[in-house]
Amino acid sequence: MNATSVALDRSGPVATMRIAGDITSSSEAELMAAYTQAVDGGAPAIVLDFRGLEYMNSGGIGLLVTLLVRAQRGGIRLLASGLSEHYREILALTRLDEAIEIHEDEAAAIAAVKV
Amino acid sequence: MTALTRPIRRLLGQTAPAIEAAPATRTAEPIAEASPTVDAATSTIGIDIAESDPLLAYLQSAPGPVDLARLELESPAVTALRDAGVALIVPLVSQGELIGTLNLGPRLSEQDYSTDDRRLLTTLAAQAAPAIRVAQLVREQAHEAAERERMEQEMRVATLIQQQFLPRELPSLPQWQIAAYYGPARAVGGDFYDFIEMPGGRLGIAVGDVTDKGVPAALVMARTHSILRAEASRSDSPGEILARANALLEPEMPARMFVTCLFAILEPETGRIVMANAGHNLPYIRTDDGVIELRATGMPLGLMPDIRYEETEGVIAPGSNVLLYSDGLVEAHDVTQQMYGFPRLREAMTVDDAGSELLDRLLETLHEFTGADWEQEDDITLVTLRRASGVSDQTGEAPTMTSAFSIPGEEGNERLAMDRVGGAVADLGISPARLERLKTAVSEATMNAIEYGSQGRADVPVDVEVEATPDAVIVRITDRALSGAVPEDAETPDIDLKLAGAQKARGWGLFLIQNMVDSMDVTTDGSTQTVTLTMARKEPTDG
Repeated sequence: MNATSVALDRSGPVATMRIAGDITSSSEAELMAAYTQAVDGGAPAIVLDFRGLEYMNSGGIGLLVTLLVRAQRGGIRLLASGLSEHYREILALTRLDEAIEIHEDEAAAIAAVKV
Repeated sequence: MTALTRPIRRLLGQTAPAIEAAPATRTAEPIAEASPTVDAATSTIGIDIAESDPLLAYLQSAPGPVDLARLELESPAVTALRDAGVALIVPLVSQGELIGTLNLGPRLSEQDYSTDDRRLLTTLAAQAAPAIRVAQLVREQAHEAAERERMEQEMRVATLIQQQFLPRELPSLPQWQIAAYYGPARAVGGDFYDFIEMPGGRLGIAVGDVTDKGVPAALVMARTHSILRAEASRSDSPGEILARANALLEPEMPARMFVTCLFAILEPETGRIVMANAGHNLPYIRTDDGVIELRATGMPLGLMPDIRYEETEGVIAPGSNVLLYSDGLVEAHDVTQQMYGFPRLREAMTVDDAGSELLDRLLETLHEFTGADWEQEDDITLVTLRRASGVSDQTGEAPTMTSAFSIPGEEGNERLAMDRVGGAVADLGISPARLERLKTAVSEATMNAIEYGSQGRADVPVDVEVEATPDAVIVRITDRALSGAVPEDAETPDIDLKLAGAQKARGWGLFLIQNMVDSMDVTTDGSTQTVTLTMARKEPTDG
């Protein structure tokens, strides 16, 4: 199993959580800590960049839903970028793509927030 | 007596912190004020007291501090203690068990210890002994826990090494069906098998077993594996390959370890097989005339230098099955300590199995024999070869194959299963997107098997079998059903309901599996549950 790492980039008005490794149910602590930090920093929108994602299972999808619930309650916009075709398909299948805006890459996601 | 001596030895040795509070001291003052300027005050004395020394029995029943100068006892320990400058011994007894001593040197005032001194020391000993005993027990428990953790860790490492060297995919040869199974025991043994492509389309097949278990066995297995591969590239004689492997392994083999190994070279077109054997189980061949053993003898690898290995040759006729295997199968015991044994194996081989049925049936007979609560004692490796019967030419048909393996039922191992299935089907021409879907389905189904079937226990395996037919890939994931059947999701996960908090965030597993493959079936026979995933090899052209 590969560890999850979430690097938070708050250099711009939009925060980016760069995810690397595996997203499974054991990634909860890392993911939630980065999210809380981004929200505490006052970011109105957060891009989850999945370019470094190696593997995500149903537990990881469950975590994304938890994150979405928290974001909706807090009025935070969540976007995703860098997803492989396979995981885009899974997000479409689970209809998570209706709740999280999916963009090709991080720049496109950030641009979408600013428009 | 042993129980009594053990703590004593430890207390007098250098290992126990307890002695640091109970040093041999030359100060006249009570030990608590042992002067730091007197070196001896903080030193421990390393005297080993023999289990049979009469001093131990004497101290156990002594009512208080014992004056060594006046003690008349035929005891080497007393002499040694006197030589070390000990004048007074205060036994520390807790619940009737001698757990240590306070050793004091002579008073600095050169007077004898007074009655008051002795009373004080007796009180001190009575209070200190239970506390020290508790500390000893705590330390013993911590030590045992650390030891258990270390062993668990070692088993994980051994498993990793082992898995690393097993072939990720099986050879696909026209007219041949090759199947392999490797099931590790909890304390991973040193089983291995390998398929080596050789010049002229021939196939080298190695099956072996390293004596011993755990990391040492896994490392020797890894070394043997690479030596066999290297030697197989230099020679086309199984006897020569084993002889060279032996010459390389012998000087570096750890004490009391050796490797049994069978090496065979198969000519797929003619069915000709040449093999040499380094002390391993002989392969069985099933023909229409019965089950025969292909005989070849030789010393195991690594025992002694300059061994020659005889070669045996045979032809595997169309419609015949060959089995190569390790001890773990024949030496498996049932609840009554009866062994599976060769007669049962022979009997199981008499049926004319096509494809990979032989492997499946051997595992079935084994599980029937051992029962559900079986703790597997040793690794089990099975390799079966089947030469297709008749002359029907399969040219033009998609290759078929079967692969089987087990993983320890521990969280996280679903990735192992996923990667091995991915490797096994890599050459079947399935599109990358569909391969990803299959892998996700395998991973999710294995996660369920681990969570429910094995309850996360590494010693309860999950079996995975991959079969490719000309049209489809079929993956069967079998667990031991410890928690009964995997609960069907009561409700289809719905993102709107989940976001509204009307459904829990999790619960996507079965939904994903069902959507990733063409079909998912669940069968159960009480002691096991099997999830069968099927995916067509070709993308359906239209909806």
